[in-house]
Amino acid sequence: MKSISIKEIATNVAYFLASMAILLGLWQLISVITKAEIPNPASTWIVFKELIADPFYDYGPNDKGIGIQLFSSLGRVSTGFALGSLIAIPMGLLMGSTKIGMNLLNPIVQILRPVSPLAWFPLGLLAFKASDGATIFIIAITSLWPTVINTAFGVSSIPDDHKNVGKAFGFSKWKYLTKIMLPFALPHIITGLRLSIGIAWVVIVAGEMLSGGVGIGFFVWDSWNGLSLERILVAILIIGTVGLLFDKAFNALQNAFTWEKK
Amino acid sequence: MTNIVNPNQLVDSASDFHKINSRENAIDIKNVTVSFNGSKGTFTAVKDISLEVKKGEIVALIGHSGCGKSTLMNTISGMVTPSSGEVIANGNIVKGPGPDRGIVFQNYSLLPWMSVYKNIYEAVDSVLKDKTSAEKHAVVDHYIQMVNLTPHKDKLPGQLSGGMKQRVAIARAFAINPSILLLDEPFGALDALTKGSMHIELLKLWNLDNRNKTIVMVTHDIEEAIFLADKVVVMNNGPAATIKKIVDIKLPRPRNKKDITHDPEYISVHDELLSLLFDKFSIED
Repeated sequence: MKSISIKEIATNVAYFLASMAILLGLWQLISVITKAEIPNPASTWIVFKELIADPFYDYGPNDKGIGIQLFSSLGRVSTGFALGSLIAIPMGLLMGSTKIGMNLLNPIVQILRPVSPLAWFPLGLLAFKASDGATIFIIAITSLWPTVINTAFGVSSIPDDHKNVGKAFGFSKWKYLTKIMLPFALPHIITGLRLSIGIAWVVIVAGEMLSGGVGIGFFVWDSWNGLSLERILVAILIIGTVGLLFDKAFNALQNAFTWEKK
Repeated sequence: MTNIVNPNQLVDSASDFHKINSRENAIDIKNVTVSFNGSKGTFTAVKDISLEVKKGEIVALIGHSGCGKSTLMNTISGMVTPSSGEVIANGNIVKGPGPDRGIVFQNYSLLPWMSVYKNIYEAVDSVLKDKTSAEKHAVVDHYIQMVNLTPHKDKLPGQLSGGMKQRVAIARAFAINPSILLLDEPFGALDALTKGSMHIELLKLWNLDNRNKTIVMVTHDIEEAIFLADKVVVMNNGPAATIKKIVDIKLPRPRNKKDITHDPEYISVHDELLSLLFDKFSIED
């Protein structure tokens, strides 16, 4: 592992802060141009402080704290993402390891991949008779494709050198899967998961706007109905930050499982 | 797998190891031709080769780069299927790789995500199915000790030098106790000093097993071939390579690396191999 110097960290932090300053500057500019129809950062900050002062209050079905909304969304995303990955990884392994699997499944992947989550929603409602189930369904089905594709790519690019080890020493199918195929494909699988969780997090907001109930997406829609643009902007910032954290977490995971040239 | 061999049955003729000519063939290559279909048509790597290797013999395949010696050896390992002809190893027609033939690959082929210990253990676990877990671990420990890698057993291959990786690959091949060992330019990437000590290690391992293992190695190093082998197979240049000549090395064993270079037998074999491999000895100007 290479160690990161303090100077490097300081540089990265400085760049991040500069980047945020640009964002705030643009935001302020837009607010001025729209004659404060879009709230400026300062007034949003006030609302933000109010919202996070008591994030877990619960005054009935239509009035819950932002923390409850956020965690409810995170729960749905994790469930949908986990279910999607449970389908996606074996499917990718099958596609990557056999020509038949690739030829049979790839057209399905190519056709279903570009379908919008919103198009799946009615089918989800029909199948699960509940908006919560439908939301989880659309997260699963729209987020699994990057994992499928990256897993398949990882498996299909196992070098002959590694395959020959399995052949020469008579590895069983299970040993080949667990000791050669999965370890080699793991960094690729994690790349797929990283892209998939990104999609899942994008989809949740759209899903919850349709489904209603509790969740950060519902919170955005509810704030629009209550004409509180500040609350919408706060939600956007929270959504963005959580997305960033997801990405960082999977990036760290990826670095932890990269065995090459250590 | 059709030809899984019980490792305990392999060491069965220790008493007559010195009577090599009385032994059965460990490997029988019969009229083997290997052709590959490429973009520019069919390429024939080796053509109509026949070769017998007796049990317990060390045979070196020698020739210029690209002469098909690796291809020929891969027909024994089962990695390459002959286009015509057949290879018989331990009495069975070779249909694919099998644990009765241990392979040391040219580029070591260690799994980079596993420690030295795990690399050997997985092979042992896969081949020696009848042994208990404790016995398997004992085998791995034994062979790691034999190649002097005990202090490095928890390292990943990426943390090892070329010579160490080579020793891991050799330990892995020996640990599954195959009756035939196939070495593809095993010492090619090593410096002269490491190479010399690896030769001795290899012979030590061979001796420890009463010289019962048959070893086929690909090399382009004449000195290495003479020092190690009972028989040197010189190949013509490809494509469609054939055997040019089989030279017997009658030097008595154990051989001493320093002393044999003065042996008249060594000198004459060396000269013979040189002239077989190189037509011209000086640059005409």
